[in-house]
Amino acid sequence: MPTVTIDGQVYTFEGTPKLLQFCLDHGIEISHFCYHPALSIPANCRQCLVDVGTPVIDRETKKPKLDENGNPIIQFFPKLMTSCSVDITDGMVVRTDRTSELVDRSHRDNLEFLLINHPLDCPICDQAGHCPLQIQSFKYGPSGSRFEFRKVHKPKRVQLGPNVMLDAERCINCTRRTRFTSEISKSNQLTIIGRGVRNYPLTPPGVVFDDPYSMNVIDICPVGALTSVDFRFQARVWEVSQTPSITVTNAKGSNCVYWVRDNRVVNIVARQNPAVNEYWLPDEDRLAYPMFNDNRPQGPTVLDGGQQTGTKWEDAFDRAASLLKSVDGKQMLFIGSAYATVEDNYLLTRLAESLGADAPVYIPHLVPGAGDGWLITDDKTPNANGCQRLGIKPVDEAVVRAKLTGGQIKLVYVLEDDPVGSGLFTADELADIPVILHHYHTTNKTLEVADVALPAAMVVETVGTYVNEDGHAQRVRPCKEISGINRTLVMEMGKSRQDRHGTPFDRWYNESHKVNCRPSWDILPAIADRLGHKMAYTGPKQIMQEVASTNSAFEGATYEAMGLLGVRLTEVAEPA
Amino acid sequence: MPPVDPNKPRYLCCNGDESEPGTFKDRQLMEYNPHLVFEGILLAAYAMSITTSYLYIRGEYRDWIIHMERELAKLYEKGYVGKNIMGTDFSTEIVIHKGAGAYICGEESSLMESVEGKRGYPRIKPPFPAQKGLWGCPTTINNVETLACVPVILRKGAEWYASIGAVKHPGPVLYGISGHVNKPGVSEYPTGMLITDLIYEVAGGIRNGKKLKAVVPGGSSTPVLRADQIEGVTMDAESLREAGSMMGTAGMLVLDEDTDMVSFLRRITHFYAHESCGQCTPCREGTGWLENIVTRIERGEGRLRDLDLLVDLCTQMEGRTICALADAAAWPVRYTIHRFREEFEARCKPDIFATGEIGRPQAVPAA
Repeated sequence: MPTVTIDGQVYTFEGTPKLLQFCLDHGIEISHFCYHPALSIPANCRQCLVDVGTPVIDRETKKPKLDENGNPIIQFFPKLMTSCSVDITDGMVVRTDRTSELVDRSHRDNLEFLLINHPLDCPICDQAGHCPLQIQSFKYGPSGSRFEFRKVHKPKRVQLGPNVMLDAERCINCTRRTRFTSEISKSNQLTIIGRGVRNYPLTPPGVVFDDPYSMNVIDICPVGALTSVDFRFQARVWEVSQTPSITVTNAKGSNCVYWVRDNRVVNIVARQNPAVNEYWLPDEDRLAYPMFNDNRPQGPTVLDGGQQTGTKWEDAFDRAASLLKSVDGKQMLFIGSAYATVEDNYLLTRLAESLGADAPVYIPHLVPGAGDGWLITDDKTPNANGCQRLGIKPVDEAVVRAKLTGGQIKLVYVLEDDPVGSGLFTADELADIPVILHHYHTTNKTLEVADVALPAAMVVETVGTYVNEDGHAQRVRPCKEISGINRTLVMEMGKSRQDRHGTPFDRWYNESHKVNCRPSWDILPAIADRLGHKMAYTGPKQIMQEVASTNSAFEGATYEAMGLLGVRLTEVAEPA
Repeated sequence: MPPVDPNKPRYLCCNGDESEPGTFKDRQLMEYNPHLVFEGILLAAYAMSITTSYLYIRGEYRDWIIHMERELAKLYEKGYVGKNIMGTDFSTEIVIHKGAGAYICGEESSLMESVEGKRGYPRIKPPFPAQKGLWGCPTTINNVETLACVPVILRKGAEWYASIGAVKHPGPVLYGISGHVNKPGVSEYPTGMLITDLIYEVAGGIRNGKKLKAVVPGGSSTPVLRADQIEGVTMDAESLREAGSMMGTAGMLVLDEDTDMVSFLRRITHFYAHESCGQCTPCREGTGWLENIVTRIERGEGRLRDLDLLVDLCTQMEGRTICALADAAAWPVRYTIHRFREEFEARCKPDIFATGEIGRPQAVPAA
């Protein structure tokens, strides 16, 4: 096994890894800016310099020359090398800033250079608090600056496209963003203009940075040069809680981090998951955050004299149960939801089963041609695959309509969807029969005919499992508190919150931002209880355990196994 | 060097992006002997089975680009370049590529980027051009002057060529002498010429009978030599290294006793600050900073500590970038200050506060 010695410690390696990546993989921090594992290596920030030596090879024997103590003679390169671009070779000896004064000095010198023309406007910069330049300046940088001249001025507040704002003065020309658009998104919408100290990145003349993945450059920018048009100046990074979860705008289930302040989702950024979205997140996923905050219902309502009237949860459950009791199971239509979690849909199938109704169906939400074969899919729901694995099939519109108009359906139970809004039924068709609705938004079109409307928790407020179009089962975690539930006691909220900055700011003080809703896995057992069908679960974790153990399509998908990165479920034949 | 992939096309680049201040030898060749250059390119292409060669000429050489294009058209007309040259089965093309006026495109890998139609950013090495050059294919790159020597070497033999000039650094050199001399211009002489001979014999001595102050032997990036340092120094690598400078491009700048070295250095730092491509941090930021400080000294507002800071910045730049532009920018600063320190000190005000390892400007209380 070939070996490399880094700071006196010997490591074995395989293949020809790059030195910087190898160090990062082994927990050896080397400061760097321009290197990104998914992009090509330009070695232009010159921050990751290390001292590298290789054994002197005897020309005749082709073996390393040894000194009198039997140790190989190491010849160090005359210059410091950028660790990002060095291929590790057998016997290589590396000195990082921990063991080499020269390397330590080079990091300090380079940061001094980087900072001389940087505006140092951290107090008003969105990146402050999680800024690689700021963090590394504290760790490796000089204690002050010897620069006594006017800084170079460059354009500020340049809107590159609909979602990205540029501050060229903050830019350190790492070229990560231009490499992203040329290598990953392939839109080639960004370039570097100017030369020397006056250069900065910009769109070419006449080009608008409207790449559907444009906002990824905000994530990978190591300074605050690129900010989100929506999020800039909205919140400081240490004021928000950051919860790892997944996005639900399409069937890819890209991994993300929800930024929540004051119980409102303020920003969504990408989270690394090699099996799903690598490092990236499409703009439509990022810009979906207002749907978690706006138009949310406050508490359950019942239809009273043609008006939705607020009521208590217990009363709403009683009303729903009495409606369900009044209709024969065979005449009920249960509509599952590709927006809802596997757990919620599973409880709905159990409820339908116990009432003797047909298995639920779900309404597909497809936008043909919207997908790009990468992280944007035609399917605009996050859990169609999960529904199918539970035996919930896409609704056959013609059959269901015929049944409804023929009077064979006497009750419709809708889980987290909008049959009127999606065009499955018209409001008039549903006006005469009881409708029980779990809904997210007050704009739900089915709401006006819903006899019982039960506000359901959205992905940011619940615990559950989604299966993406490739069969990757992933957990979601609550990041936003709903009223009536103490987050630290219920739903693993305290545990799930991964506060990277350890600051005590997000205390969910603001009651007015709490939505009065309940997760469907909480609503459904409450109704089932009233019907005499006990569903005794302590929580979604237990529900998922049951699904994983009883349904072979979900084998292995327990919460422990899914963790933060999810598990790939085995392919199942299309349910007959 | 690992062997090159035989299935890939190979390319030849001829570097005519002559931009180093004080250098104007390639221009002479292209103007007065263009066919010698083309002949050298063709011979090299034949020897290496190269089908396309690029002659890269800097954009400011507009007249010489037109001239070379006209001469190249004649070659195509006569069938010396192109398909089945002179009835043989050897075919090769020569393409003249106009630069857009960037000094950095004289660096071999950024020249290739420029030929490929990209921004002139130097590439990281390895891989070297011999493995991955133009479009990722094996590429040989040489200067106009080098390739112009090829026909003569083939005609007269390597031994004859090696017998010219200094033993360890043989060959003829085009000395471009400029500055405060009576007869500036390009002259071809062997290596190993005495610098004093070049100045006083070849270039006709210092203008207006003045005394010599300094000589920059090979283009603005090579360290400057004081008049008292050039006694007996010859123009070859060894002798110049001993004297503390380099051969460079053999574009010699001669400065007389009236020269303001601070102003001279200010102009050089301005050039490198203007021409830094902006890719690597130390060069992008360092060249501008150097210019700032030297300009301040020239204005008479410098402080003595600025001189140490300048040398410090040179140390921070040298050898820490992808290409050698940072070194080229740092050497003249380091050596001009080192060799003319009194002149610089005379222009600086005394320090108002002492500086330590990293001088932190202290707040000066308002009066």
